[in-house]
Amino acid sequence: MSAGETLFLAGVDCAFALAVPLGAVLYLRRVRVPRPPVGTFNGRDIAVMMGFVLALPFLYLALPGAALPAVLGLVFAGGLTVGYQPIVARTLPRWAAILALLGADLTSRLLLGGNSPVYWLANSCVVGLIVVSATNLNVQGGMRLRNIAWFILLLGLYDLTFATVLPLTQRLADAIQGYPFAPSAGLRIGGLGAVIGMGDLLAYSLYTTAAYKAYGAAGLRTALPLVVVFGGLVPAVTPPVVGWLTGHTPSLVPAQVVFAPAAFLGYLALRRRGPERRMREYLATVTLPAPVVEPAA
Amino acid sequence: MIEAGIRQVRVALAMVFGRPVNPRLVERLIGDALATIEEFGAPGDDVEQLIDGPFADPAERRDLQTRALQRTARRLAKRSVFYRERFAAAGVDPGALTPDSLRNVPVTRKADLVARPRDFICGRPQMVTQTTGTTGAPARVWVSRYEIELWPALIALSLLLRGEARPGDCMQVNMSSRATAAVQEDVEVFRLLNAATRVVGQVPPDESLDHLLDTAGVTPTLLSGYPSYIGQMVSAARRRGLGPDDFRLRGVYLGGEVLSPALARAVRETFGADQVADTYGMTELLPVGGRTCRHHHLHLDPNMGFAEVLDLETGEPAEPGRLGTLAVTPYFPYRECMPVFRYDTRDVVRALPERLDCELAAVPAVSQVLGKANRLLDTAAGLVTPRDVAEALDELPGAEWPVRYRAEVVDGKLHVTVVAEHASPVDVTERLGARRIDAVAEVVRLGPEEARALCPLRCDLEEKTFVRGAA
Repeated sequence: MSAGETLFLAGVDCAFALAVPLGAVLYLRRVRVPRPPVGTFNGRDIAVMMGFVLALPFLYLALPGAALPAVLGLVFAGGLTVGYQPIVARTLPRWAAILALLGADLTSRLLLGGNSPVYWLANSCVVGLIVVSATNLNVQGGMRLRNIAWFILLLGLYDLTFATVLPLTQRLADAIQGYPFAPSAGLRIGGLGAVIGMGDLLAYSLYTTAAYKAYGAAGLRTALPLVVVFGGLVPAVTPPVVGWLTGHTPSLVPAQVVFAPAAFLGYLALRRRGPERRMREYLATVTLPAPVVEPAA
Repeated sequence: MIEAGIRQVRVALAMVFGRPVNPRLVERLIGDALATIEEFGAPGDDVEQLIDGPFADPAERRDLQTRALQRTARRLAKRSVFYRERFAAAGVDPGALTPDSLRNVPVTRKADLVARPRDFICGRPQMVTQTTGTTGAPARVWVSRYEIELWPALIALSLLLRGEARPGDCMQVNMSSRATAAVQEDVEVFRLLNAATRVVGQVPPDESLDHLLDTAGVTPTLLSGYPSYIGQMVSAARRRGLGPDDFRLRGVYLGGEVLSPALARAVRETFGADQVADTYGMTELLPVGGRTCRHHHLHLDPNMGFAEVLDLETGEPAEPGRLGTLAVTPYFPYRECMPVFRYDTRDVVRALPERLDCELAAVPAVSQVLGKANRLLDTAAGLVTPRDVAEALDELPGAEWPVRYRAEVVDGKLHVTVVAEHASPVDVTERLGARRIDAVAEVVRLGPEEARALCPLRCDLEEKTFVRGAA
């Protein structure tokens, strides 16, 4: 990997690692997602989420080639309509926007190919919006920084295991890249390429948003640099550095292996400030714009 | 979050399909609700759907009611000697009953329950409770362990989601110690809510006030009792110069007797409670209960039982606007040990239209209880209900609650004898006249024993203590 390629990768990864979490924080400040009458996230939900993380790659790999984009397309459409119902309350315009976005993703892939910057921008836009909405469904549903720090730590162990002991991560990356609705963001321009997984973006977004909810500006000041440095920069520059040091360049450095310990230490540092703010305490500090209500038929 | 969702679905399915509800499941749901309120400060969106239950949907209600009645009747035919005989004598097939054909089953009266208690038992009895006996011989009702565990859990969840009780609250219970199920229920409800209870009973009212003022431990924030007894507490508080700033009460729950607007206002003003709730409950009907809305409708929980208004004259279902007695069938699986079917409470209510315009419009309603059927006053000018008289007399100038009176009809005219210190017969006739009740009034001054003999009330189930005597 040349210096230019590394620089491109680091720049794009850092840009996504910064933009998506900031989008999620902005959403948290401006939009309230509906929540069920009873229920808040707890440690057992993290265990369930971890179960999904373990099972999904196998499902992805088991699905026949054409089925995977279809499944992902349906999941994305569902995720977008749930997440953006509070912003576009009217069903018709909301679905029109979602279908237009997914249509742009699909047609750009079919017409321009998997290396087209247009396709990557469209797909990244879909993935970014999904991550912003999923983050807020979780954090506004009561998921706490403590839960997320532990979740990311487990994710780091998982990534380490599946990148080294059971090389599933690379197979999965190869399997999904270039498909319409690939669960990853990135950009390809000419011979340069950068990809960041949707799971990684979700981890960064959850961490940043929960840190902001829990500790306000101090949480954001701690989380964002950690995300950009250990989520965007370090995973991008590690392969050439390792190659330069050892003579063997690893093809893939799972981002969570680098980010998880840093994120956990960041959580421990923030915890010294006191207990996390509850959602009710956070809500007492913000003024929301008037809710968007769908007019009666 | 995911577990809580699964638990909600499991409870909802049990309610819809009439399967026994695991009390542990409901208790865990309370834990979920407590965690939700701790995190968010309030339950989430659409909480009304969870509180009101599946029977609140008018489109589904008829079908659910039919299935619940058939399920309840089938079980009674199988396990209750009394109802096996009754269904056979009436020639009805319990599995084919509908809300319309229900009228073919004769109503059950309190006398049946008193005469043949053993023949009503369908489950394993764990605890006996009994009616206060203020309207005749007390009936004993056995409840099972399942009922003892389930009812408080369902009530606690409902109170918590409605915001009527919360962790850290303290409920002072001023009910008669005979109402063991209700008292035990209150203690358990507040334990489940991480809240406290003070079971005080019907001790001298001044001692109950001392409990309300006691800042050691947890000071009461909620109070429950009978209107006549709480009326005595209001009078005692006013005598002692106590006012809203002296108490920490947020809510007062009254039931078992007629609560007049005047007394409700006095309770609110004296104790500073924001909410003075007029609730309906009866030992024989547990766990079916009712709440009164701001429009003074009595809304009975349709998820727990089937309520009918039986016309006073025909005994058939009453048309809207007509007076009738309230008959209730608690459903299985909520009532399992000593259930009743079409239990005629003899409480007179007015049937209301199906569509109402109040904050509880989703829940079917009747009018507030107007009095017992045998206490209706059939005057030449029309029927006068005990509520009509009680509400008028509670407004007398200088009224000291509870106002005791005797009302009877002589030659078609209402004669009212009121025990009062400061009111005159003219005051009485004026108050009644304002309600278009023409009456002959007499005001008497009686000692406590004579007053009780004239008009016994639930507050007369008093409990003696050594506290005042030892002073």
